[in-house]
Amino acid sequence: MAKTVNVLIIDPDEARAEQVAEGVRADNGDQETVIRQERHFELRMLRDFDPDMVIIACESPDRDMLEALQVANEQVPRPVVMFVDRSDDNATAKALEAGVAGYIVDGFNPKRISSILTVAAQRFAVTQGLRKDLDKAKADLAARKTIDRAKGVLMASRNLSEDDAYKALRKHAMDTGRPIQAVAADILAVSDLLKPGDSQ
Amino acid sequence: MTELKIAYSPLNDAALILVAEALGFYDSEGLNVTLIREANWSNIRDKLAYGMIDAAHILAPMPFAAALGLGPSMGRIIAPMALGANGNSVLVSAKLKARLEDGGKLDTSLLGSARLLAREVERRRKEGLGRLVFAVPFTWSPHHFVLRHWVASAGLDPERQIQWIVVPPSRMADMVKDGVIDGFCSGSPWPQAAQLNGHGEILFSDPDYWTLKPEKVLGVRAAWAEANPEATIALTRALLRAGQWASTPAHREDLIRILARTASVNAPWKAIELALDGSGLTFDPQTATFPWISHAKWFMGQMVRWGMLSPDHDFDQLARHVYRPDLWREAAAPLGLDCPLADEKTEGGQPAGWEIPAKPHNILMPANQLFDGGVFRCA
Repeated sequence: MAKTVNVLIIDPDEARAEQVAEGVRADNGDQETVIRQERHFELRMLRDFDPDMVIIACESPDRDMLEALQVANEQVPRPVVMFVDRSDDNATAKALEAGVAGYIVDGFNPKRISSILTVAAQRFAVTQGLRKDLDKAKADLAARKTIDRAKGVLMASRNLSEDDAYKALRKHAMDTGRPIQAVAADILAVSDLLKPGDSQ
Repeated sequence: MTELKIAYSPLNDAALILVAEALGFYDSEGLNVTLIREANWSNIRDKLAYGMIDAAHILAPMPFAAALGLGPSMGRIIAPMALGANGNSVLVSAKLKARLEDGGKLDTSLLGSARLLAREVERRRKEGLGRLVFAVPFTWSPHHFVLRHWVASAGLDPERQIQWIVVPPSRMADMVKDGVIDGFCSGSPWPQAAQLNGHGEILFSDPDYWTLKPEKVLGVRAAWAEANPEATIALTRALLRAGQWASTPAHREDLIRILARTASVNAPWKAIELALDGSGLTFDPQTATFPWISHAKWFMGQMVRWGMLSPDHDFDQLARHVYRPDLWREAAAPLGLDCPLADEKTEGGQPAGWEIPAKPHNILMPANQLFDGGVFRCA
């Protein structure tokens, strides 16, 4: 049986590391791939896990630690060197652009390196896209909450139905040419001032 | 407007790059700058190599190490200016600090503390304890050279008698707390933040080692600079103007505010303040930003001294390819700064203020003195 391939993934973002792991697993060639995910890099991982390749998120400050091993290799049993196969500059550049870098042990199959790095880059790019969508969804949710609360204020203070409260908000937004969320935020700000018991 | 991307590491000595943005100096020099915060030096090196960024806040030895084949390529880099001087501190664990005290008193001179360090190394050897472990943020860094020099000044062999490890500054304090490392050298405000949290004590700072120690430079992709010669001068000028602003005492609070913003160094106000006071960090464009060829050669000399490099290289030629005092003069003269006549000077041996020939007026330089009285001559 062929020796297993050990891939260590260092990423402070565990969900993203999971995505990369899944991708690398699916990309499995005829060799069994064993994957370990960690948020931080520690020197002992090299002894304990003996990785053939390390994938690290560029946003991890630990990248410089890993980088130094090619110099101070007395602390590690095996040299880990940066993936600098210039014949496949493209894979390295794309990975870097997506926010991930790879380190390998000397003699590791170059085809497999490029393939793993490409998969990691794709997963990073997808996660980046999802993060943007999530940020937008969060912003949308926050806006809806503000509008709902403003509606509540209007319903209570002017005795309006929910529907009428929303129409009033929308009309004011259109009249003043401002986003409905901004109008809602203004109403909340003013209503705080008008709270009973706060007047002097 | 010329578009460009500049990367920096979250440290106090990225100040000029951040100040130029906050005060609109890039804009007024006709530059449309996108700032990118990077979590490690390796990213910055690679992004320069692949042309993903055009300029960056870099450790001064980085372009020389890369050009001399130490580590991966960085592409051709030029440095039209330094980004200030000093700013690093050495912190040791409370345990090690106690060992560096003689009769309850800490010897604050570097020669004194190194002598006590040698005593401690000898004690550990006799008792069969492991080597002391010191951390630096990058192999090709002034931090590494400073610590090695200090260790060696007491006759220790830094290579054999100390264990070195590269650790990101953000993790150094925890490692001191956990006893993984015995001390570290890092840019501010990390050592100050660690000390405030009770994780060790600062033993010395850059000016104790060398009164005006070179540290970070502006690294620009040579290909970008060649395609954008005017923008290169404009960029240098924007940063020199940032230096004029940042070295004005009245702007201190605003400077701390800029550094404390999340987008900048994201550290507690108190740590930044302590660092500005204690680490000797200076941004004076007149005395701390000229890219001295003698600094470049000193860094390469350190690589040779510590066995990282053979001495068979044309260091003068490489120094002049990377460091570009000609560009500094072109950018600085219209700002009313005085331009040194020479490209190199003798480093060390100036215990008090001294004058160097410059035009239109000579420059009064602060002391230029190394802790061991060493003098580095280029000739």
